[in-house]
Amino acid sequence: MTEVKKTYKHYVDGKFVRSESGKVYAIDLKKEKYEIPLTSKKDLRDAVTSSKAGFAKWNSLTMYNKSQILYRLSEMIEGNKESYISLLQQHGLTKNDSKNDVEDAVNTIIWYAGIVDKWEQLTGNLNPVAGDYFNISHQEPIGVTFSLSSDDISLNSLVKSFLPAMSVGCSVISFTNQNAVLALKLSEDINNSDFPSGSLNILTGNFENIVEDVGAHVEIRLAAIYSNISNDLLETLDVKGSDSVKRIVNLPSDEGLGSIIPFVETKTVWHPKGQ
Amino acid sequence: MNNWEYAESIESEKIVKIEKKYGHFINGEFVSPNSKKYLDTISPSSEEVLSSISIGNEKDVDFAVNAAKEGLKQWSKTSPSERSKYLFKLARLIQERSREFAVLESLDGGKPIKESRDFDLPQVAQNFFYYAGWADKIDLAWGSGISKPYGVVGQIIPWNFPLLMLSWKVAPALATGNTVVLKPAETTPLTALLFAELCDEVGLPKGVFNLITGDGTTGSELVNHKDIKKIAFTGSTSVGKYIQKSLAGRDVGLTLELGGKAANIVYNDAALDEAVEGVVNGIFFNQGHVCCAGSRLLVQEDIHDVFINKLEKRMQTLRVGNPLDKNTDIGAINSKDQLDKITDLVNEGVSDGGELFQIECELPKNGFWFKPSLFTGVQANYKIATEEIFGPVLTTLTFRTPDEAVEIANNTEYGLSAGIWTEKGSKILWTADRLDAGVIWANTFNKFDPASPFGGYKESGFGREGGRHGLLSYLKASS
Repeated sequence: MTEVKKTYKHYVDGKFVRSESGKVYAIDLKKEKYEIPLTSKKDLRDAVTSSKAGFAKWNSLTMYNKSQILYRLSEMIEGNKESYISLLQQHGLTKNDSKNDVEDAVNTIIWYAGIVDKWEQLTGNLNPVAGDYFNISHQEPIGVTFSLSSDDISLNSLVKSFLPAMSVGCSVISFTNQNAVLALKLSEDINNSDFPSGSLNILTGNFENIVEDVGAHVEIRLAAIYSNISNDLLETLDVKGSDSVKRIVNLPSDEGLGSIIPFVETKTVWHPKGQ
Repeated sequence: MNNWEYAESIESEKIVKIEKKYGHFINGEFVSPNSKKYLDTISPSSEEVLSSISIGNEKDVDFAVNAAKEGLKQWSKTSPSERSKYLFKLARLIQERSREFAVLESLDGGKPIKESRDFDLPQVAQNFFYYAGWADKIDLAWGSGISKPYGVVGQIIPWNFPLLMLSWKVAPALATGNTVVLKPAETTPLTALLFAELCDEVGLPKGVFNLITGDGTTGSELVNHKDIKKIAFTGSTSVGKYIQKSLAGRDVGLTLELGGKAANIVYNDAALDEAVEGVVNGIFFNQGHVCCAGSRLLVQEDIHDVFINKLEKRMQTLRVGNPLDKNTDIGAINSKDQLDKITDLVNEGVSDGGELFQIECELPKNGFWFKPSLFTGVQANYKIATEEIFGPVLTTLTFRTPDEAVEIANNTEYGLSAGIWTEKGSKILWTADRLDAGVIWANTFNKFDPASPFGGYKESGFGREGGRHGLLSYLKASS
């Protein structure tokens, strides 16, 4: 019997869609060659529209609820563990490395799921001002975030490129090139984990094709670059981003409290004390 | 109106000694500029020339950055508790010479002495005192993963709070182990130059604090210097964008504290007399030369008339005049350029159809002055409702519901500050949660403290100054 081969599609607004351009690029694995949707400028704009609505939905959930949704993603991956291991092996990893990577990814997700309702207790505080005022600094998510994931073939690297932003309440457009098959497979488990539509969109393709648009789109509040990109690309992103004072973070820390700090804004509220 | 007559009470200028000419302060000493070029700094309240300051060119900047690089070797060997003690000593010296600094600030910048004396200088000293105490506790602030200094930091500060902005920049940078090249604004360099003398007096190691004066070209040289590891800038959004663009593709840290167009929201259940005081303070403090000024008054429609009436009455009591008179509420506009900008925007507001109220008062003959002004009958799309005026001009808009207030407040590319006036606690928290602003004052306005982080959302910049969060602007995450 002929094996059925999966068609991988972008994951945007809770739906699996092809690129509007109809263009694809090839990822050649050991057994199969996959034609992956190549993101166009229009695809990016559509994803931003979805992410903007997704941010409102994701951010309005309680931290407890967000935490459970992220935890559910780890449950989904655990249930499909063998298929991830097999896919990583298809990419050329050994069985042992593949198994370790999937287990690392699950552990990473659980770490971030667990910090969702705690990080603000670590990043916010009362400020001891010299006067009769209640003064508190707390944090809010920056908003729609674009994340370029590392090209390492690794489920763990992939999840580390969107979990820090999501755990504080940002919506994320996760973009990858070489990790595309893995990312689009992951989108199926994301789809089964109760994420509100648009809170996490997954696109694949060449960053060069969209870098100017990522920089220039004012609704993208932050761009996080987890991949080693050329200086020219970074310069283009920075120049375009400067028109709207965009937050651009090159190679952010991918663990601990330092990993989430770039994705929050600090809001300080004053109120007098009195009778 | 039955005004009390005030007798003049002029603070003496004799306490300050201003040199005819100043060099840059590099490697622990004043040096003549390589450029051999100078520019005059004048008193905006009299237009009298106070002194000439050096204009830094590429070589001057290079000299200063190299001094800071050398200084870094010494400063990084200095133990955190020693660094702490230098900053404490600076705080004490500033307290001791605070009147001298205050008079100089008012002379050079035009702000009323009661503000420089009672607000700027106490805050400056407290800021050094506050960050002095952090210097030997950096690991505790954000964990050992975020505890390394950048190295040589370039800092560019504005003319509205010259010495206060210096303290916001220099104190946390030195406390975290960085060394500094600072460029003050071209119209207000004198207090920074006096501060440099104090650094010498406390024996701060050479090259740890360097000061380079000049204009925009000097700032640009500093931003583009290859050995700068971080730039901290406070100023206009347009210059901030230019700096961000200049640093494109370079591994240089950046924090920006830029413009604002803050909404000051007055709900119909506010304590109106207190709100009037807060609104007046919010826009007329420091002649409105405040990036977080409450320049858009959002008043609930049903109290518009009564509120505006109270506001106009209160405005009429403001005293405009000599900055060194202790009775003065509103001093001089900082420069001719700024006065022209304010005048143009106000004229445009009138021709757009806004209704302008200005207080009745006599303005001094010399110097740059602008009467405290209030616009009503304004449409949301008028320039006076969207652009930062940076002067004593308040624009009024109205709203019907809290949702509408939030929508209008957030309908701007800025996001620095906002005000909320209501006696209902839950409404304060509801509103504060929804405003895109880095600092929110509820039933108060324009309050500052070294322990309280300050900085903006959106195009008002990124990074915070003040508090534990202010340390993050000068620390790198080690990955």
